[in-house]
Amino acid sequence: MSASPSYGPRPWTFYVLAALFTLFVIFLYGPMIAVLILSFQGPTASLVFPLREPSLMWFDELFNPRRTGDVVGAFNRSLPLALGVMLLTVLISVTAGFAFRRRFKGATAIFYTAIASLIVPGLVLSIGILVTFRYLGWSATWYTSGLGAHLSWALPFGLLIMFAVLGRLSPSYEEAAYDLGASRWQTVKEVVVPIVFPGMIAVALFGFTLSYDEFPRSWLTVGSKNTLPLEIWTMTTNVTSPALYALGTVTTIVSFLVIAIALSSIILIQRKRSRGK
Amino acid sequence: MNSMTTTAAHGSTARPHQENGEIRLVGLTKQFGNSYAVENIDLTIPHGSYCCLLGPSGCGKTTILRMIAGHETPTSGKIYIGDQMVVGKPPVERGTAMMFQSYALFPHLSILDNVAFYLKMRNVGKEARRQKALEMLARVQLDHLKDRMPAQLSGGQQQRVALARSLITNPKVLLLDEPLSALDEFLRLKMRGELKSLQNELGITFVHVTHTQPEAIALADMVVVMDTGRIDQADTANVIFNKPKTPYVARFMGGQNVLTGMVESNAGGAVKLKAADGSVFEAHAEGPAASVGSKLSISVRRDHVTLRRGETTSDVNSIAGVVEATEYQGSYVKVTIKTATGIFVANVSDRAYFAEQVDTGDKVVTSWSNGDVHVLSKVDTGAAGDSYLDGGH
Repeated sequence: MSASPSYGPRPWTFYVLAALFTLFVIFLYGPMIAVLILSFQGPTASLVFPLREPSLMWFDELFNPRRTGDVVGAFNRSLPLALGVMLLTVLISVTAGFAFRRRFKGATAIFYTAIASLIVPGLVLSIGILVTFRYLGWSATWYTSGLGAHLSWALPFGLLIMFAVLGRLSPSYEEAAYDLGASRWQTVKEVVVPIVFPGMIAVALFGFTLSYDEFPRSWLTVGSKNTLPLEIWTMTTNVTSPALYALGTVTTIVSFLVIAIALSSIILIQRKRSRGK
Repeated sequence: MNSMTTTAAHGSTARPHQENGEIRLVGLTKQFGNSYAVENIDLTIPHGSYCCLLGPSGCGKTTILRMIAGHETPTSGKIYIGDQMVVGKPPVERGTAMMFQSYALFPHLSILDNVAFYLKMRNVGKEARRQKALEMLARVQLDHLKDRMPAQLSGGQQQRVALARSLITNPKVLLLDEPLSALDEFLRLKMRGELKSLQNELGITFVHVTHTQPEAIALADMVVVMDTGRIDQADTANVIFNKPKTPYVARFMGGQNVLTGMVESNAGGAVKLKAADGSVFEAHAEGPAASVGSKLSISVRRDHVTLRRGETTSDVNSIAGVVEATEYQGSYVKVTIKTATGIFVANVSDRAYFAEQVDTGDKVVTSWSNGDVHVLSKVDTGAAGDSYLDGGH
């Protein structure tokens, strides 16, 4: 461990960090892969390895429930909820981003107020929202209180991303557009939005996945009908079949699909820019 | 006038008052918080001239340009372009077009669509605007690259696209913000030539902001030297270079030595000065008569002095010192001399230098003739433009 320059073997820290990273990867993907494999269990199988008589029966069980919970119903709530959160997050983050480009009085205070909801514990927020709704005599549903609770989580992320993206956008693009006779609206539509579009996709991605996965903020705010994470949690307590694994596999695939669509559209846009049409 | 042909070609996009691109600034002031970026400036830039706003960073030159362009609102004062007062009007109504320092080409549009942007904003049909944009690209010899994206072009090509994009608006004033600063040395000289010939061809007013003296001298019909929000001198390049008004201008333009002395006698325009170290200078005072006993500063061009070995001098228009550094410049050698009062630079032709070579540490005497002395209208305090005291240009 001499400090002198060396072109010899790698330092011991390399092996420590490599081992650490390997453990991390196993910890992250191992369970996911185990669930994926076990979701193909046969009819006589248990919840653990080995895999016997591989079949798709638990996927069938999932979509045509006999003993499991209302997975399809939960998905039909979670998906529109996530899409709604996504749309609102993009819309609010982008417009707020524009507003914050021109410094206004109280900007910092508003920024920290919005960001503060990141540190409020989700469950506490969930309880607070429920209590408030009860007090006002409103009933909690996934598309009212649930939507609000999810926005309180997704929006700060969207704002942070959009502020970073718009902060890097040189004002000279807007000035050049103004110089060339573009109105304010034309500048936004023809110049700013196309340039920051990859950032908007990133915000959309965050909005969707944060809502689709959300448990603590959903717990008390979605009302009598569960969203998907709540349904899975319920199933873990009363369903003891590999249908649980099948559900895990399906939701993971949906998440990956959303990420893949978002990332590939970003890559496509950037490739188009750097290589020409 | 060449610009008239382009006016005709554009038809519907032509603007009123096309013929007059004179810019008049009256009492123009821009305040940012408590500090003045531009302070009470009066300036007239004649129609069809190439004007360079020259000064160090932070002197307010870019702020002036942006106020003319309409990207900055003056705190007070008036801006006239042609015969209309333009403060409060958008750029298109002013008849100005600005080329940004980083060009600000839209990264998501092909260069053809970048150039066509102005026409698109005016709802010109796709085919028509692309046709016109292609003609404009052909003028800057880039029509073969029309489908490329800005990121795929070299710096020089990007600049030409930016030029084409500005010129398609058919402006009577083109505003250029440090247009050559992003280019390498070779390209800079090439584009410099192209800008000048383009201005000749179009006959419109160019206002070019730069901090580089050779650029201003090479391009401008009119050089405006600025110092912290004020204009020090506005004149032709020749006058600015040879007859700087102030020590600041002399130093900033480079190529000059500034000397200061006490007026000993002043008879019939011939002024005799005595410097702090006892050297005696003579000059023809052109301006107001300098009274005996007051201080006066003069400038002498670096290439108008001769150099010889020697310990001391008692001659008039002569100063002694020790060589601090020599720098070979090809056609001449820059000899930096430390004198009792400061730094003196002699640019000696290479032939003269190598005939009697001097090195660091050698004692030398420089001298010059009466006619090469220029009297400055301000006494050198050494404070203004301090960083240019040892002027490396």
